[in-house]
Amino acid sequence: MEALFFNVDSGFLEGIVRGYKAGLLTQNQYNNLTQCETIEDFRTQLSATDYGNFLANEPLPISTSTISDKATQVLVDQFNYLRSNAVEPLSKFLEYMTYAYMIDNVILIITGTLHGRNTNELLQRCHPLGVFDTMPALCVATNVEELYHTVLVETPLAPYFRDSVSAADLDDLNIEIIRNTLYKAYLEDFDAFCRTLGGPTAEIMHRILAFEADRRAINITINSFGTQLSKEQRAKLFPTIGRLFPEGNNALARADDIDQVRQACEPVAEYRAFFESGPAASRPNGARVGGSESTANLLGDLGDDLGGATAADLEDRFFVHEVHLNKLAFLQQFQYAVFYAYIKLKEQEIRSLTWIAECIAQNARDRIHDFIPTF
Amino acid sequence: MGDDYPTLFRSEQMSLVQLIVPTEVAHDTIAELGELGNVQFKDLNPDVNPFQRSFVGEIRRIDEMARRVRFFAGQIEKEKDPIPIRPLYDSAPLVTVGPRAAQTIDELDVKLTEHEARLMQMNESYQLLSERLRELVEARHVLRETAVFFEQAAVRETEVRNSFDDSSAPLLQHDDREQQYSSGDVQFDLEFVAGTIDRARLSTFERVLWRVLRGNLYMNYIDIQEPFVDPATGAETRKNVFIIFAHGETLLSKIRKVAESMGATIYPIDVNADKRADAMREVTGRIEDLQIVLYNTGANRRAELMTIGENLASWQDVVAKEKLIYETLNLLNYDVRRKTLIAEGWCPTRDIPQIQLALRHATEESGTNVPPILHELRTNRTPPTFHRTNKFTEGFQTIMDAYGIASYQEVNPGLFAVITFPFLFAVMFGDIGHGFIIALAAALMILFERKLAKADLGEILSTFFFGRYIILLMGLFSIYTGFLYNDIFSKSLHLFHSGWDFPEQHGNETVVAVSNGHTYPFGIDPAWHGAENGLLFTNSYKMKMSIVLGVIHMTFAVCLQVPNHIRFKRLSDIYTNFIPQMIFLQSIFGYLVVCIIYKWTIDWSKASTQPPSLLNMLIAMVLSPGSVDPETQLYPGQSTVQVILLLLAGICVPWLLVTKPYLQWQEMKKIQGQGYIGLGADDAPRHTDDTALEGEEEGNGRVIVEANDEEHEEHDFSEVVVHQVIHTIEFCLGCVSHTASYLRLWALSLAHAQLSEVLWDMTLANVLGMSGLLGIVALVVVGALWLSLTIAILCVMEGLSAFLHALRLHWVEANSKHYEAGGYQFVPLSFARLNEKQ
Repeated sequence: MEALFFNVDSGFLEGIVRGYKAGLLTQNQYNNLTQCETIEDFRTQLSATDYGNFLANEPLPISTSTISDKATQVLVDQFNYLRSNAVEPLSKFLEYMTYAYMIDNVILIITGTLHGRNTNELLQRCHPLGVFDTMPALCVATNVEELYHTVLVETPLAPYFRDSVSAADLDDLNIEIIRNTLYKAYLEDFDAFCRTLGGPTAEIMHRILAFEADRRAINITINSFGTQLSKEQRAKLFPTIGRLFPEGNNALARADDIDQVRQACEPVAEYRAFFESGPAASRPNGARVGGSESTANLLGDLGDDLGGATAADLEDRFFVHEVHLNKLAFLQQFQYAVFYAYIKLKEQEIRSLTWIAECIAQNARDRIHDFIPTF
Repeated sequence: MGDDYPTLFRSEQMSLVQLIVPTEVAHDTIAELGELGNVQFKDLNPDVNPFQRSFVGEIRRIDEMARRVRFFAGQIEKEKDPIPIRPLYDSAPLVTVGPRAAQTIDELDVKLTEHEARLMQMNESYQLLSERLRELVEARHVLRETAVFFEQAAVRETEVRNSFDDSSAPLLQHDDREQQYSSGDVQFDLEFVAGTIDRARLSTFERVLWRVLRGNLYMNYIDIQEPFVDPATGAETRKNVFIIFAHGETLLSKIRKVAESMGATIYPIDVNADKRADAMREVTGRIEDLQIVLYNTGANRRAELMTIGENLASWQDVVAKEKLIYETLNLLNYDVRRKTLIAEGWCPTRDIPQIQLALRHATEESGTNVPPILHELRTNRTPPTFHRTNKFTEGFQTIMDAYGIASYQEVNPGLFAVITFPFLFAVMFGDIGHGFIIALAAALMILFERKLAKADLGEILSTFFFGRYIILLMGLFSIYTGFLYNDIFSKSLHLFHSGWDFPEQHGNETVVAVSNGHTYPFGIDPAWHGAENGLLFTNSYKMKMSIVLGVIHMTFAVCLQVPNHIRFKRLSDIYTNFIPQMIFLQSIFGYLVVCIIYKWTIDWSKASTQPPSLLNMLIAMVLSPGSVDPETQLYPGQSTVQVILLLLAGICVPWLLVTKPYLQWQEMKKIQGQGYIGLGADDAPRHTDDTALEGEEEGNGRVIVEANDEEHEEHDFSEVVVHQVIHTIEFCLGCVSHTASYLRLWALSLAHAQLSEVLWDMTLANVLGMSGLLGIVALVVVGALWLSLTIAILCVMEGLSAFLHALRLHWVEANSKHYEAGGYQFVPLSFARLNEKQ
């Protein structure tokens, strides 16, 4: 039935987003990009793609952060176009997508304030998709309750926050707990929302969100080794919509080292491959490219002592699998998952672009092929 | 070889030429050829990445220069008072060829960099100054507004002490409780924060503060009337002055922190009125100083922009040209020793002397004595199609190019469209008045051609302007057909004596006109106008006329095959395609045309038989051949003639179907019989000159990139058969449907005539009879209405519709008979085109 009336409200936007998707860089274009000698070449090469002349008016030399910013701006413009043309329930769906960025921004500001960074600088580093009005006031808060009552209570994040309100002071560990609680609540809520939409949207979104949930669970587990985080606390942070839930989650909660994590993931065939030790084409965690800081990788702050190489390798495999899942979303029509998938793919593309640009700028040509291609 | 004058009949003869250019004159040569605009360069390094080519460095530099020029243009555009940009034709040309070329470019680059740096610096200081000014202005606002507040508070304080009943102090009205607090105590002990904030954020700010301080604050704000303008972007922001009272250092610091993070600016204000007045004086003084500095900076910046504006157009031009030159140079191939560049490209054979001249000129200009060498190459590639048009033929050629680019040296239907297109249009649009309006509009466009060409007309108007010569011819032809139809704004003209006399009319009876022996010499007799059977007559007349015109047009189109067959040495096609097609068309529809004309020549009122219906005759000819009802016989012996014609047409179908594949098959067998195996059999025709052969004999006629992308049409026998079957079916069915399609000439012309008559009857006809002042007023009003509707509906809308149908008749009905349209457009390197694009 959804096929019958889908196009009335969302046909136009689906067409737009599929058009955007056709503009994603292809393997061939990535190859051309990796052959560039300098950032100027890189710009010339990009101007032949859908990015067009987005860098044409930048004075030389161009920094990689400019490239990343400008590319993100392209993404943000596209998203805003989609959002301003959307009607219910697609508009709600798109709004849900921004919550993830809001959570990241909130955490970014709290952490930054905690470490005494300049607020304006922090605001600039926030992801533009997750900006909300009262965000700057976050820096006033000194404990969790205050945070909730002054700022977050009027944001859409408030319901997620309710569970984690305690009078505890803000410190690094607590912030991480807050973040993961928020994320857990968010993922579960988003999944529930998608389920109300029904049809292929629910099906595909569940697949993507379940993977996201599992990824977070695994990351939390690995990163909490050797920290003060107790196992009970850890178990509370796991989202309950993943494919590992419930047995896998329980096993993860009890895990003490990476081998136990592997065993916990054994039942899911796709996840088994993540832990097979591949060729050591890894990148140290610290060297990760700028733009990704606001996403999942901040988790790395929690427990860096694990041995960065494995974690980073795992992270890359997660990204590859995510890209794969997002690509699958385009195989079905008349559903909203394409919007989610497109934004995620575009984000991945920006990450890859930044990585390549960074490699060119730092003359690290041997690592230039370590990006994750989208199409 | 070749004709003496360029013609539109066939596309220009093209040659593949090779240019061997010494590196030092390469740039000048390309510049010269770009000015000339008749060489299309081929990409000789197709596998090389765009950024690995020889001149990437130069292109990048030019890009950087282009960015600077764009930056200047943007700055000038943003300026509020327009800064004059001297037009290109008015500025001194920047010579970028010749021995000093490199130096000129270097100088230009330096100049642009300097200008940019200076402008950037000025922008920066201007922005800094305006920023400071803005802060001061805000501070002044804050001082002024808070002063008002403090004064009122002071007044109210006394009031409150005098009478507690009066609690309606103006400013604090909205919050009674707050007032009690603040007035009960000594207010000035309260500490406060004052500043400005963006109006859009004010409500959020207030809300956050309320929550942060749990309501323990008193906030007051006032709008600042005038908006603040950002000097860099020109965006306006509106701000508010706020003052917040709270108690306790912690709360105040929280307020400050929130305010700062929300983008507010906080100004220190003193409680003491005298100190405030001092601060006010100081701020005002500094504002005055700053304004003077700011004005000077602004004037300097403007002067700088003026200097830039003087040269901007020529810079833009040079940069665009240089970029094009280097992009073209990138297509060329370096020879092994990297001393010379080798270019290959198509150019019209006729223009080779001109190109030679340009090359010599380029050598002289650049001051070296090594001339570039040009020679023709032999090739079996199909050259691009190039029709040399002028401003008159351009429009017509574009109509045909929109259908498809003619194959190389094919008969070009664009030539004939010059007459047939306006004519078919006019058949549908025949009206002297409307034709005159159209022709007048086109004539005006042509008269002010130069002025209009420079102006930016917008998309729709410029389309009309582009087709001005088409419109002119359409108008003139419409006047002509208007005379034929004797139609002017739906009325008729009495130019000559009518051939019919109407007897005196008595009462309401119908009178019958009597022929008076005259024949109306040209067009339709005006007596038909208003006659009861007038519509019947014009219908019959126009319907037959459209069939006649259609068959003539199609016959002509079929005939256009013949020059193609001769030119491409496909002589067999003349009797496998052309002759059977012609016989088929003529034996059925040609015969119909003859019958129509024959029927017109007979005076049926005196004939012994009834006038036959030609439609039924044609149907009967096919359905029941050999039997003609003597009642409706057109001429004696009709049935025999019709049977013969039908047989002829019948024979043509298998003839068309079989002969060509058979001939092909025979040829193939012959070739195989001689022991050859098909390597792409007969090639596209090639015309090589003796000069080309000479060039080859000298041993340097080597094509760099030989046709590897040229697809050879597979001469598979089954394909030939399928193709011919489709062709036959298409033609035979097409003849019927296309002839019927020409009836649109009748339909549209009828619709046009009826519509204009209705318009006349509904508007002017009602008021023409009125007399007196009312009559004049009504005439003027209705006349204006009639005229505007005539132009809008009858000329523009109907005109567009007739245009569309004329277009269709050319594209579908005529072009399908002969036009192959398998060519590709000749796109020469040309600076003139560059300007067009901009």
